[in-house]
Amino acid sequence: MSDAATPSHSPAAAARIVEFAKQPLVVALILVAALLYLGETLSPGFASGQQIMRLLIVAALLGIVAAGQNLVVLGGREGIDLSVGGVVSLSAIVAGNLMAGENAGIPLAIVACIATGALFGLFNGIGVTLLRIPPLVMTLGMLGVLQGLLVVIRQGIPSGRAAPGLADFVSQPFLFGVPGILWLWVVIGLLMAFLLGRTVFGHRIYAIGSNEQAAYMAGVPVKAARIALFVLSGVFAAIAGICLLGYSGSSFANVGEQYMLPSIIAVVFGGTPLSGGKGGYTGTMAGALLLVILQSILVTINIDESGRQMVFGITLLVLMLFYGRGRSMRA
Amino acid sequence: MIKLKLNGVSKAYGATKALSHADLEIEAGEVHVLLGSNGSGKSTLSKIVAGSVRPDAGEILLDGKPVTITGPQSARSHGIAIFYQELSLAAHRTVAENISLASLPSRAGIFVDGDALEERAQRYMALFDGVTGDGFSLDAVIEDLRADQRQLVEIIKALAIEASVIIFDEATSALDRAQVERFFEILRALKQKGRSIIFISHRMDEIFAIGDRATVIRDGQIVGTKRIADTSPSEIITMMVGGHDETDAKAVEHHAPTGAAALALSVKNLGGRGFGDVSFDVRKGEILGFGGLHGQGQSAVLKALFGAAPPTSGSVELDGKPLNPANPRAMIRQGVAYVSGDRAREGVVTGRPILENVMPIHYLRDRMILAHPPASARKALPALQALRTKFAGLGFPISSLSGGNQQKVVIARWLIDRPAVLLLDDPTKGIDLSAKADLFALIRKLAEEGMGIVLYASEDAELLDNADRILVFNGGAVRRELTGTARTRYNLYQAAYEAA
Amino acid sequence: MTMASAPARPQSRSALKRTFERYPFLPALIILVVLIVLNGWFQPRSLSFVGITGLIKTYLALMLLAVAQTYVIYAGDIDLSAGAIVSLVNVVVVGFMAQWGGDGLTILAALGLGLATGLACGLVNGIVVAALRLQAIVATFATSIFFTGLALYIQPVAGTPAPTLFWRTYGGRILDIPFVFYVVVAFAILLVVLVRTRLTLRLLAVGDGQQEAFQSGLPVTAVRIGGYALCGVFAALAAFCITGDTASGDPLVGGKMTLFSIAAVVLGGSALAGGYGTVVGSVIGALIIGFINSLVFFVGTPSEWQNLVQGLAILLALMAGVLVGRGARA
Repeated sequence: MSDAATPSHSPAAAARIVEFAKQPLVVALILVAALLYLGETLSPGFASGQQIMRLLIVAALLGIVAAGQNLVVLGGREGIDLSVGGVVSLSAIVAGNLMAGENAGIPLAIVACIATGALFGLFNGIGVTLLRIPPLVMTLGMLGVLQGLLVVIRQGIPSGRAAPGLADFVSQPFLFGVPGILWLWVVIGLLMAFLLGRTVFGHRIYAIGSNEQAAYMAGVPVKAARIALFVLSGVFAAIAGICLLGYSGSSFANVGEQYMLPSIIAVVFGGTPLSGGKGGYTGTMAGALLLVILQSILVTINIDESGRQMVFGITLLVLMLFYGRGRSMRA
Repeated sequence: MIKLKLNGVSKAYGATKALSHADLEIEAGEVHVLLGSNGSGKSTLSKIVAGSVRPDAGEILLDGKPVTITGPQSARSHGIAIFYQELSLAAHRTVAENISLASLPSRAGIFVDGDALEERAQRYMALFDGVTGDGFSLDAVIEDLRADQRQLVEIIKALAIEASVIIFDEATSALDRAQVERFFEILRALKQKGRSIIFISHRMDEIFAIGDRATVIRDGQIVGTKRIADTSPSEIITMMVGGHDETDAKAVEHHAPTGAAALALSVKNLGGRGFGDVSFDVRKGEILGFGGLHGQGQSAVLKALFGAAPPTSGSVELDGKPLNPANPRAMIRQGVAYVSGDRAREGVVTGRPILENVMPIHYLRDRMILAHPPASARKALPALQALRTKFAGLGFPISSLSGGNQQKVVIARWLIDRPAVLLLDDPTKGIDLSAKADLFALIRKLAEEGMGIVLYASEDAELLDNADRILVFNGGAVRRELTGTARTRYNLYQAAYEAA
Repeated sequence: MTMASAPARPQSRSALKRTFERYPFLPALIILVVLIVLNGWFQPRSLSFVGITGLIKTYLALMLLAVAQTYVIYAGDIDLSAGAIVSLVNVVVVGFMAQWGGDGLTILAALGLGLATGLACGLVNGIVVAALRLQAIVATFATSIFFTGLALYIQPVAGTPAPTLFWRTYGGRILDIPFVFYVVVAFAILLVVLVRTRLTLRLLAVGDGQQEAFQSGLPVTAVRIGGYALCGVFAALAAFCITGDTASGDPLVGGKMTLFSIAAVVLGGSALAGGYGTVVGSVIGALIIGFINSLVFFVGTPSEWQNLVQGLAILLALMAGVLVGRGARA
């Protein structure tokens, strides 16, 4: 350690390269490349441009849900949002019903869905902070409520359809031959990087995630910040729900449930430990991509559903070994 | 007879060498004191012997034979027990259960033998009969016990192992005098039985009361071993401090502000959890000391003034304007600063870069929304340099710094936008002597620049050397005020004890 | 020099607080009693012998799974694969009963195999979480996918019937007392026995602080694996009850139960962080979920609203349980 007279902003270059290679983001990207190669070997055409575009669209849906999950996890104190799946489903149904296949309904649908997501996020946030219910319990309970609400809505009103504009946005080339949802994902990625790295709010998220009491003593509005994280999680889930409607054309039962636990896995694969306080969204994006490619490879190889699930489960476990294993108790 | 021998034991955490090539010999039937400032490697050495830290190199010999200690369990089976400074108790279990946790007496190898469990606990608890205080019983839950009682449980837990080598890492820090005396009687009895005791303490009187030999560790290296009978506190301190003598705190001059200086903080009849009816004034340019026995409401008053545990009664004025300490946020905005001695819990944001640890107060006071690292760095550097903070770069995690430098970073937070009042809650707890000197020099300078400062220090010497005026606390109230030449150790002790 | 003495603050703990500390399931018990009264109010027949027997038959599996989950939560871990283990054991048991003929002996053999399956799954979870040190939530999610895959391999679609002897016994009576009551009694004895074991105490100690427990000399990894193993065994028992109740094999039957089992544990007053709780509480928690569901039905909620009302009621009960429990202990 040198004296204060020679401050620099980053570690030495050699150590930097080692650190770089160990970063979860880099690990995830290397794995993504390896899996693409594996997929191409197993089934030629797997890594074709069109296929990759399709994979990216699916990854974007998961990645957007995982953005909110990522924030909640970063905020620490066992932060987790199990209700995202419910919000995705609800948002897809609300959007479908409001736009009912008409482009004119899109703006209203977007506003309504985001407001709905924010509202449920707010409930979660209030429960977790003001009532101090553990996040797992609060969001688990909320998931039950959302699932109940889905039943009510689906039986009361006929199921809606996606507006053609929305469907095109998700699946058709939008700009430079790339679908709009991918642009949206890129924008969300940039926004998240900016939020976490260049705003006071971002620094506060890390602070409460790594030492809540110290953050409180340093004037961080801990409760407000944590409520904001849950609200954002609801909003991102709602956005994903709208996109999911565009992807599948019409909303059907519990479409969002498939995102609940995978969004957490994507966060973990992206290098944000569930204990919070460190990590970021770039890694999570790679984590989402990794998961989607993995699932897609399992679909291309010719085994039945049971074999696919077993291989998937084991692969997840093996991949987890690459990431943050807990510290040994013996230092 | 040499009971335990360490040969060239080393341990590094990343680039930090916690212990390098430590050689140590512990005899049977002696109390061997380990001395050194915090972070010097005493605890690392203890934990290596006790199996909870894995050494990088070196060998450990018991009764002349090399042994491999693979973990706490294996250390126990070799007859080594340890009292952990940070305690190793299960908060929701009872006293009896905790005492036997790792060797639960069983029936049929499956069921807990409750009778044996209680009988065993009873036998060892009897050692402290009469000094344990209320509520200390077999079936008391640890969570409900006071700090000193928890410490007793940890002591009993170590004793119950009946080990031939017992390590006590700061086992007396929360105990009262009667408890310490009883503890020392027990240690003497163990000595008689030929047990080896490694004793770590910062209290010089205890070291000279119980120790046979003392080994000083500095910066992870063994400096030397002395017979207690052949040495003096000053010689030991010299060994601890090493060549550079930057500790002559007595040289700090006092500039008690004149009575005409304006009031920075005025507190009237303040009451809250753990204290009541506390009134005092702090003038601009003054360092007001809080003294007395540990835990008599000093910290509670400071936390209340900072809004971390809001007061329930009384009034506070800052610069003549009424102040409502509702929460730390509001207080920070009003210009009240607070530095906790509990760095790990209330100070540093672990794992985050140094820069992010310096900036939060500025973010709040400037109501900033965007964080611009280069601009932040320009503000953070002078603050860190004012404290002579040693660090490699603002982007390094704060955990890469020594305890003293971490505390300097925490204090530097408050130097970007100057507060009107600085509340210091035992700020030097567990930091090395040179960092202490830097800290107190800065505090005096801040006072001279017109800040009002309240200093609670658990070390009386710090208080006597740095405070212009001392309020002695007892039972949650101010019992006495010591000013001018009345600020003597004798008066401080007397005031602290007489009203108890 | 530091001087220290006992802090001045007097220690006052009310008897109420102590009671709540010793019996953390009291708030849950109160909620349960209220629910039972309401059930009786809206549908007196629900509290009849037949009504209660039916409820127990339906919710015994959840009670057992909640208990399974409790042992893992004791140590501060969690098991998201508990439901998948139920499914796997269910298809294993039904599959082997069908293959071996379905008489008394083969049923017992199949049940033994089911227990072994549950134990093996628990051990896998324990090794993955405690020995390999993977995060419990994600790791047990991954094993749940694997277990589900295995269940699908053994029995790709639902519908294989369980032998008549098996479900007749489970749903029938012995000496005029419904069989499930014998199961309940055996279950209660088992729980009482387990409370007194060293494993239970050690799990709770590990949940109070892994590092502290390790430093005390506890074999923390082995203890946590033991918790998961116990969880696997109880999940297998839960699977037997499901099999008795549904009389068939279904590779996805337990999937939905995982989250309910966690909810039941929390309802019962155990701390998710570990170190604190009771299995009795978890049983009560499972019953609360059962009585909420039946009450929602009995008050005549329109069918499409039932799920929502159930969800809301469970959320409120969860919140109330956490709040009341904390308020009473503070």
